[in-house]
Amino acid sequence: MRRLFALLVCLASAAAAADKPDGLDFFEKKIRPVLATQCYSCHTGKSAAGGLHIDSADGMRGVVTAGDPEKSALIHAIRRDGNLKMPPSAALPADEVGDFEAWVKMGAPDPRTAAAPPPYDYGKAKNFWSFQTVKDPAPPKVADPAWSKTAIDRFIKAKLDEKKLTPAGVASRRALIRRATFDLTGLPPTPGEVDAFVADVAPNAYDKLIDRLLASPQYGERWGRHWLDLVRYADTAGDNADFPVPDAYRYRNWVIRAFNDDKPYDQFVREQIAGDLLDKGDRAATGYLAIARRFGSGGAEFHLTIDDTIDNLGKTMLGLSVACARCHDHKFDPIPSRDYYALYGIFQSTTYPFPGTELYPHAKDFAALDPKNAARLKAYQDETSDLDHRIRDLQDGKQGKDLSKEDREKEVWRLKERMAVLEHDAPNIAKIYAVSEGTPADAKIQIKGDPYHKGDLVPRGFLTVLGGATLPADEKGSGRRELAQWIVESPSFARVMVNRIWQYHFGKGIVGTPNDFGARGDAPVNAELLDWLASRFRESGYSIKAMHRLVMKTRAYQLASEHSDPDARLDPKNEFQWRFDRRRLDAEEIRDAMLAVAGDLDREMGGPHPFPPEVKFRYTQHTQFFAIYDTRKRSVYLMEQRIKRHPMLEVFDGADPNATTPKRGSEETSLQALTMLNSAFVDEQADLLAVRVGMAFSPDAERIRYAYRLVYGRSPSPAEIAECAQFLAQTSVAMKKSNLPADRQPRATLASLMHVLLASDEFVFVD
Amino acid sequence: MKNCNCSRRQVVRSLFTGSMLFPAVMQRLLAESSDPLAPHAPHFPAKAKRVIFMYMPGGVSHVDSFDYKPKLIEAAEKGLATNGKSYVKPLWEFKPRGQSGTMISDLFPNIAASIDDICLVRSMRGDHNDHFQATLGIHTGSVTTARPSIGSWVSYGLGTENQNLPSFVVLAPKMPYCGSQVWSSDFLPGCHSGTLVSAGSDPVPNLTRRAPTQQIEDLELGLLARLNRKHQMSRAADPALAARMKTFETAYGMQMQMPEVLDLSKETDATLALYGLERGSTKGFAWQCLVARRLAERGVRFIELIDQGASENWDSHTDMRAHEPLARNVDRPIAGLLKDLKSRGMLEDTLVVWTTEFGRTPWADSPQGRSHHNLAFSSWMAGGGAKPGVVWGETDDLGVKAARDEVHVHDFHATILHLLGFDHTRLTFRYAGRDFRLTDVAGNVVKGLLA
Repeated sequence: MRRLFALLVCLASAAAAADKPDGLDFFEKKIRPVLATQCYSCHTGKSAAGGLHIDSADGMRGVVTAGDPEKSALIHAIRRDGNLKMPPSAALPADEVGDFEAWVKMGAPDPRTAAAPPPYDYGKAKNFWSFQTVKDPAPPKVADPAWSKTAIDRFIKAKLDEKKLTPAGVASRRALIRRATFDLTGLPPTPGEVDAFVADVAPNAYDKLIDRLLASPQYGERWGRHWLDLVRYADTAGDNADFPVPDAYRYRNWVIRAFNDDKPYDQFVREQIAGDLLDKGDRAATGYLAIARRFGSGGAEFHLTIDDTIDNLGKTMLGLSVACARCHDHKFDPIPSRDYYALYGIFQSTTYPFPGTELYPHAKDFAALDPKNAARLKAYQDETSDLDHRIRDLQDGKQGKDLSKEDREKEVWRLKERMAVLEHDAPNIAKIYAVSEGTPADAKIQIKGDPYHKGDLVPRGFLTVLGGATLPADEKGSGRRELAQWIVESPSFARVMVNRIWQYHFGKGIVGTPNDFGARGDAPVNAELLDWLASRFRESGYSIKAMHRLVMKTRAYQLASEHSDPDARLDPKNEFQWRFDRRRLDAEEIRDAMLAVAGDLDREMGGPHPFPPEVKFRYTQHTQFFAIYDTRKRSVYLMEQRIKRHPMLEVFDGADPNATTPKRGSEETSLQALTMLNSAFVDEQADLLAVRVGMAFSPDAERIRYAYRLVYGRSPSPAEIAECAQFLAQTSVAMKKSNLPADRQPRATLASLMHVLLASDEFVFVD
Repeated sequence: MKNCNCSRRQVVRSLFTGSMLFPAVMQRLLAESSDPLAPHAPHFPAKAKRVIFMYMPGGVSHVDSFDYKPKLIEAAEKGLATNGKSYVKPLWEFKPRGQSGTMISDLFPNIAASIDDICLVRSMRGDHNDHFQATLGIHTGSVTTARPSIGSWVSYGLGTENQNLPSFVVLAPKMPYCGSQVWSSDFLPGCHSGTLVSAGSDPVPNLTRRAPTQQIEDLELGLLARLNRKHQMSRAADPALAARMKTFETAYGMQMQMPEVLDLSKETDATLALYGLERGSTKGFAWQCLVARRLAERGVRFIELIDQGASENWDSHTDMRAHEPLARNVDRPIAGLLKDLKSRGMLEDTLVVWTTEFGRTPWADSPQGRSHHNLAFSSWMAGGGAKPGVVWGETDDLGVKAARDEVHVHDFHATILHLLGFDHTRLTFRYAGRDFRLTDVAGNVVKGLLA
């Protein structure tokens, strides 16, 4: 098991020297394995037997005298030639004792330094920027106040001046509406919207644009998707068979609606952790906890699901890699293992819904959408689930040991018949994939993350460095309600979210590592601005839409994406925002934008996926669940699986459904190019676009003009019209040599042009 | 294929990146923008330049194949049992093979005949006894959460020698356990993900030209290049735009080259016979093996061959005789591949790896079958600097667990990386605040496997 635990250890792998000296090699080969298997179980951690910590060089100093085995208590203990005989259960083989002697003789070389529990100096730790309370700095004074449209600009301009950078000019109206529309809705503006905005000379035209976009239902689909990236949303469980979770969509839709309703961010977070326990809370919101990953074939590895919960909660809501403290005290941030298990207890006291697995295919512990049906749902799920277990136990011989083989088979048969009856009359009750209160209990530390190797009991509570609150004595529940409040009150709660909002608007955060505000993360590029934004966020009552307005009305947001040689030399990564960064559309935007310009987009909100009926779920690791469900709805409504990704989302760097994705990749690959050139999807959209354009106008020039307006949001130049017209002429001649029927050739010719436009840079990049 | 025409390739290249039309500044940027697939040197010189990784899903029984256990045969004949489960006698006769006289069973007669080229490990050990986790383990080093595949790590470390083909190709007739997580690049850049190639008309998704004729596709690509170039002229110095232009060139190259790789018509009858492949057939492991050689010849860095898939595989719980047809499907092709590589001088710098996710119990599961067994299994390597004719490690008398020189999956991975020129502790990627590696915080290079 040693390796398994080592594997789970989250500490940074020391980049060891290429060739270890022989002594260290000897230690690794001969000594460490014995220590780990024979000694660590008692001689590690806070309750190490006899106060002897054998998992570090320091800890062993008292029992090893380098170079002299005879003076080393350890050697006498394993030789068993004194009072102390170790290991207590059985003597080590003689060759292993010999190895230890040889190792002490060579000077006891030991690479395991600094493994003793780091006694954090919390007083000092709290001086670290992200553990300090948010300040409200005044915007700096700048030499050119006219440049700044808003207070944010003054923070930006002060840095630009300091770095001697000259900001770019302002983007064109066309560029601006395309930028803002993709940014807030993930869709391109229509030609009509572009024309109206370009023609609107009112001073508040841009403000009206932002208001209109924020009010559209597509806004929640775009920004809800950002949140779904963070919480690694998926429609399947991720166990060995990847069971579908048909009710997960309710959480997805809850997120989308929350963004559209501008639900205050603190409430948004509270409900996801404790929506079932709050006076004003939606139980569906706790789908956030329910969608944690499942592991294995039976459900025995549930500690990994809790770990996945803590990992996600730490990174997403606190910007801290809390889960590193599962196996050991955090190496870089002041998070001891105790703190991890203080949180662990809260989730261990929570009942997660069981989506079914290979061994136990029936779901359990779901909530009924209508509380009136709760009892009926529970009765059905409890009995089917119980039958699963009884059948399995009989088949494995864990039950019915006193029965004859025949009687056992008969009993299995009887239970299966009962199951068939139940399934036949399965109640049709709308369910929620949500958590509920379990049996409240504190958790014990799992030594080195091993759930079968328990240490001290830790009272449920919060991270010490963030206040270390514990549950009130009279709390009868899991503690999720308190946890939600502790999170909301933690110093970087607002910082983490405003940084994300900034990042989604500008392509990079003020803190470059949005999920890590700890010692290993980046420091903020502009700490004052970050705190100023966090202050405004709180002041607004945690209104995310208010933050969009604040950010988008800046000059910084409205800068052109043009290049400048002198600026690029000083700040090649544009860290200080002397221009707006051009970006490639993400996977969902590419698909949705194609559907939109082709007139093929179904703008209705998505509902449940067309999964097979639940009584048919008999997936195993040999016959896993795999499906792709076609839809013309927006990509946020595509069914996403954990063990196989949707091809379009995978090719264009979609979110990882297994782990939080704080930032999308934007790598250009040849498989993307192949998708653009040859995929049935792009082909179909090009064809539909050709029909749309071809039906609206008849001369080629007008068709080209309309296509440019739809696809690029601008009119073509005469030279561009000529170039496209020439392409149509040449292609229509070439079509004659194809085996397409003559009456299909004009449409195919026009589709060919549309295909090129959809594949082009101008479509997939936003200035 | 629609004529693999070099001059056309040049035309397309010049359309996208040709120096005549392409702004010089972009050329420079393109060269400077670190192409993650550009060939890189490893940490130290090594023989192996590429890997052919053969994975047998389900769990191949070590005691029926490569791990000779006369005491197990005795125990089974005496009707002995452990925990109420009888020992099962291996169904295939073991015989000494090759100059080394290594005992190998008749389950794999052809591989056995090549034993002098093989470096056999009889003391493998994994961390999990369930298919999903063990499959994830043998591919990524992690038995819990998804991590980058070994093929992705190798692609990340070495890049590729052929920009027209993916650096990491997977040939699998069906989905394996854990689905595409087996070849996923996970947190490594997406270009290091395995590309699944299958037999048939569309071997890689979206590879087949959609335009009705090649002439029309060329017209489309020409216009696309002109539109993109014009777009770029007014947006100077953006490496993302330049990189995207280059991907169309590569895609075009792949569209041309992949069908040529899969076209076996120019292979001689003798070669086909070596692999046991009927002319025109794209079935079975023979097809996978021959295509692997052709991919290796063309500079693909990591080629994974997955036998069968998540079902109807080596998971012989009910009857060990189920191993027989499975072995027949892979035995001759694998031996053929080794011989073919050797005769072409490619075995020198191609590391061939054969493994499964775990072994099978020496005792019965059902009367004739065996259950999962991660404490002991056999794997082997050949070529690419692996020591030929070696038998490394041994299990105890009954094949229950390693008795000498245990090779954990992490050690196996560390050794593969070493043969490619990497210190496995230094092939790392910074993700979520820490440096990750294939071997997590473990793994020792097994020096005895190195030539």
